[in-house]
Amino acid sequence: MHGSSWGLGTSEGHPEERGSSFIIFFLLFLPLCFLCLPVVAREAPLEFNLEAFDMPGDGGGSIGLRWQFPPLAQLDHPSSYVYRIFMSAQQDGEWRQLAEFPTNTYYESEVSSPWWVWGAKSPARHFFQIKSNSDLQLANGKLYFFKVVLTDGQHTVASVVASAVPQANLFNWAKLNNLVFMLAFSATVLLWIRRARRNPHIFLRRIPGLDAVEEAVGRATEMGRPILYLTGSGELGGSGDPSNLSTIAATIILGEVAKRTASYGAALQIPHRAAIVMAICQEIVKEAYLAAGRPDTYKEDMNFFITADQFAYTAAVDGIMLRERPAANFFMGYYYAESLLLAETGATTGAIQIAGTDAEHQLPFFIAACDYTLIGEELYAASAYLSREPTLVGPLRSQDIGKGFLLVAMVLGSLLMTIGELLGTPVLRTALEIFSDFK
Amino acid sequence: MHDLARRLLGLDRRWIFLVIAFGTVLPLLYPLGLPIRVSPEVRKIYDYIERLPPGGVLVLSFDFEPAGKPELFPMAVALLHHAFQNNLKIVGVTLWPAGTGLAESILSQVAQEHGKVRGIDYTFLGYAPGEANAVISMGQDLSAAFPADHYGTKITDLPILQGIRSLRDVHYVISLSVGFPGIDTWYVYGKEKYGFELGGGCTAVSAPRFYPLLNTGQINGLIGGLRGAAEYEVLLAREGKAIAGMDAQSTTHFLIIVLLALCNFFSVFTRQTGRTRYR
Amino acid sequence: MVFWKRTLPVAITFMLGITFMLQYYVPHPASEALLREVSVWNQIIAGFAVILGVASLLQSHAQKIKRKAPGWGYSVVMYASMCSMLGFGIWSEGKGEGTAFGWLYTYTLVPLQATMFSLLAFFVASAAYRAFRARSPQATVLLLAAVLVMWGRVPLGEYLLPGIGQVSDWIMNIPNTAAQRGILIGISLGAIATSIKIICGIERAHLGGGQE
Repeated sequence: MHGSSWGLGTSEGHPEERGSSFIIFFLLFLPLCFLCLPVVAREAPLEFNLEAFDMPGDGGGSIGLRWQFPPLAQLDHPSSYVYRIFMSAQQDGEWRQLAEFPTNTYYESEVSSPWWVWGAKSPARHFFQIKSNSDLQLANGKLYFFKVVLTDGQHTVASVVASAVPQANLFNWAKLNNLVFMLAFSATVLLWIRRARRNPHIFLRRIPGLDAVEEAVGRATEMGRPILYLTGSGELGGSGDPSNLSTIAATIILGEVAKRTASYGAALQIPHRAAIVMAICQEIVKEAYLAAGRPDTYKEDMNFFITADQFAYTAAVDGIMLRERPAANFFMGYYYAESLLLAETGATTGAIQIAGTDAEHQLPFFIAACDYTLIGEELYAASAYLSREPTLVGPLRSQDIGKGFLLVAMVLGSLLMTIGELLGTPVLRTALEIFSDFK
Repeated sequence: MHDLARRLLGLDRRWIFLVIAFGTVLPLLYPLGLPIRVSPEVRKIYDYIERLPPGGVLVLSFDFEPAGKPELFPMAVALLHHAFQNNLKIVGVTLWPAGTGLAESILSQVAQEHGKVRGIDYTFLGYAPGEANAVISMGQDLSAAFPADHYGTKITDLPILQGIRSLRDVHYVISLSVGFPGIDTWYVYGKEKYGFELGGGCTAVSAPRFYPLLNTGQINGLIGGLRGAAEYEVLLAREGKAIAGMDAQSTTHFLIIVLLALCNFFSVFTRQTGRTRYR
Repeated sequence: MVFWKRTLPVAITFMLGITFMLQYYVPHPASEALLREVSVWNQIIAGFAVILGVASLLQSHAQKIKRKAPGWGYSVVMYASMCSMLGFGIWSEGKGEGTAFGWLYTYTLVPLQATMFSLLAFFVASAAYRAFRARSPQATVLLLAAVLVMWGRVPLGEYLLPGIGQVSDWIMNIPNTAAQRGILIGISLGAIATSIKIICGIERAHLGGGQE
C-alpha cells in the first residue's frame, strides 16, 4: 500500500473501494475524536503570563503580581477553583503560601492608580499586591520569587515563576496631578501679589457689613460707651489649625477699627484668649493710633489677657458686656460654642453687633444674634478691602481664580461623566482621573 | 391686641429660659419612651465594628473636654460597651489636655464592667501634645509618640500593643471630637496618609460640617450629637444617658418650634395691624 | 537684632516649609524618617508651649494684682485655683483615680464646663425667639429648613409626622453637604494661599509683625 495509511492518501485501490474505506475510517475515527477531545483540552497548557514588579510610588516593601485569566471554561467546575499565591526567597527554595482567593476577585480594573502611572487596566487580568506587614517583611533590594497556582484541591495548574525586587521610590507619581495643581495655584498667588503691588486698585466689591463699622464707631462715640472687639479663639500657632486665617483677618480689621476709634476718640477694649494674638494686636493698635495722629490717646491696657480656657473667657467677656455695656461689639475671627453665649449676651445690652467668621458651624448663631455678619470669605475680603494691602488683595484674586477653575472643572466633569455613563465608555472617566486623589 | 403682640415680641428672655427649663426637666421625670429610628450614618459605624475580628485593635480618641461631656460621654460609653462585647482591644488616646481625666475615667469604668484587664484588653496612652503632629507621630511610630502609657508602663511592654507599631497596624480609629483637633485632624494627618479606616462622633452643632467627609467615604460613619448616641444605644439594646435624654430633647425642640411660630405670628400681626393703624 | 527676630525665622520657615511641602510626594523611607523625627520635635515644642501659656497667664494676672486694677480680686481667685490644681496634680503625680486632683477635676472643672456649655440651650431659644423671623424670602427658607431639621431629628417629631426624619436626613445630606463643600473649598484655598505667604515670608503676623 502506498501513500499515507488508512486510505486517505493515494492508493491503487478502486475509487469506490477507496471511498468506502474512507467512510469506514471516518465512522470509526470520529467518535474516538470526540471521546478524546476533553482529554486533549485538559492537557493544553493554561497560560498565566505572570508578571511580578516593584509597586510604583511607594517606600518599598511591596510587590505587585499581574496575570491573565487562563481559559477557565475548559475546566470542570471552574467556580470551584481558587488562586493561591506563593512566594520564595530562592528560585528553587521553599514556597510559602501568602494568599488564597476565588477566581472572580482581584481584577486589575479595580486597582486605584491613575493612567499616567499604571497605563491601561485590562479587565482580563488579575492583580494582587504583596505588602510587608507584621507577618511578612519584604526587604528592599532583595530578589523574591513568585508563582500563582490555580487549583480546586485535586487538580493544580501553576504559572511560571516570576521574580521582582522591591525598591523604595523617590517620587510618588500617582500624586503628580496634586503637585501640579498645588504649584499652579501657588504660582497664581505669588503672581497676583506681585500684580497687586504694582496696581493696588484691583476691584473688590464692597462688603455691606463694612459700612456698619463706621456707624458702630460713630454710635459708640455719641453714646460715650466703649467698643468691644474680640479676635476669636484662634491662637496663630497650631499646625493645621483652621482658625489661623480668620484670626489674621480679624487682626487686620482691628487695625482699621482702631484707626477710626482713634480719630473719633472712642474707647476700645480688646480682651484676649491667646497671648500671641494679644502681642500682635498690641502692635497693630499702637501703630493704628500713631497713623491716626493720636498716639497720646493710646493706652497699653486696651489689649488685655483674660484666660485661654474657652468658657472662662466667655464668662469673663459676658461680665464685661453686662457691666460696661459697650455700644458696639465686634466678633471677628474663629469661634466655637461660645459664639452664641457672647452674641446673645451682647444683644441684650442693646449694642450694635458685627460678626465675621469662617467657622461655618457658628455662622447660624451669629446671623441670628448679630446685626451684620461677614460670612466666610467676606471676612478675608473685608480685611483686604479695608487695608488694600497687596498681600491680602492678591491672594483674594488668586483664590477667586482657583474657585472659578474648580467650578468649571466640576461642571464639565459632571457633564462628561454623565455622557460617559450614557455612552457606556470608560474613556472619559479615565481622562477625569486628572482631578482624582490617589495615594 | 396689637399692643399685646408687641409686648409679647419683646418678652423678657427669662420667661423663655423658664419654659425651656420645664421642657427639659419634666420629661426626665416623666419619660415619654418614644421609639428612635436609627440613621444610616450611625449604623455604618455599628456594622463596621461588628465585622471587626475578635482581638482587632480599635483606637478611640477622646478629643473632647468636660464641656462636650453631655453629648460625647454617652457615645463613648456605648462604643466601649460594643467593642468590649465583641472582644476588641481598645487603645484610648486624647488630643485635648483637659480631656485626659474624663477619658481615663470613662475607659476604666466601662472596662471594669466587662472584667477587662488593663494592658491586655485595653490601655490608655494619655494626652498627646502637638495636635496634627501627634497623629503623624502615631502614624509613623506609636512608641515615638507614646514612650509609655498614661500609667507609666513602657509601651513595648504592653501585651495589647504587641505587633502594633503604628496606626497602619490598627483596624479602626474613631475620633469623638468637640472641635479642633478632632475628626478633621485624624482624617487629614492620619487616614489620608496611613490608610486606616476612620469613624467619627461629634456634637450636634458640628455634625453638618462632617457630612461632606461622610458622603465621600473619608469617614465611614458619623455619630452626631445626643441623637446619634441614642441611636447607638438602640442598636446595642442598652438604654443609657442618651436615650434618657432624647425625651428632653424632643420637648425642647418642639418648644423652640412653638416659640418660632409665635414670634413670627406676632411679628406678622404687628406689621399688619401697624399698617392698618397708619393708613 | 533684626536678623534674629525677622530674617532667621523667615529663612527657617522657608526651608522647612518647602521641605515638608515636597515631603508629601516623596515616599522614600528617608523622607518618612525625617517626618517622624520632626513630628516628635514638634510634639516636644507643643508641650513647652503649654508651659508658656500658663506663664503668660500668671504674669498678666500678677500685673493686675500689683496695680490693683478693677477686678483684681478675681485675679487672686484665679491664682488660688491654678496653684491648688497644679499643687494637687503634682502631689498626685497626675493620677486622677482616688486623688484630690481627680476630685477637683470631677467635681469642679467638669460641672463648671458642662454648665457653661448647657447655657447654649437656653440662649438658642431666646436668640431664636428674638431674631429668627421670616423678614425676607431667604430668611423664610432658612426658618423652614431649621424647623424641618429640628422636627425630624427628635423621636417626638417622627412619632407625630412619620417620614419627617427622611426629610431631615435629605436636608442634611444634600443641600447642607453641598453648601459645606462650597465653604470648605473656599476655606481650603484660603488656607493654601496663607500657607504660601507664610512660607515665602510675605505674611509675618505669627512673628509679631504685619505683612512684608
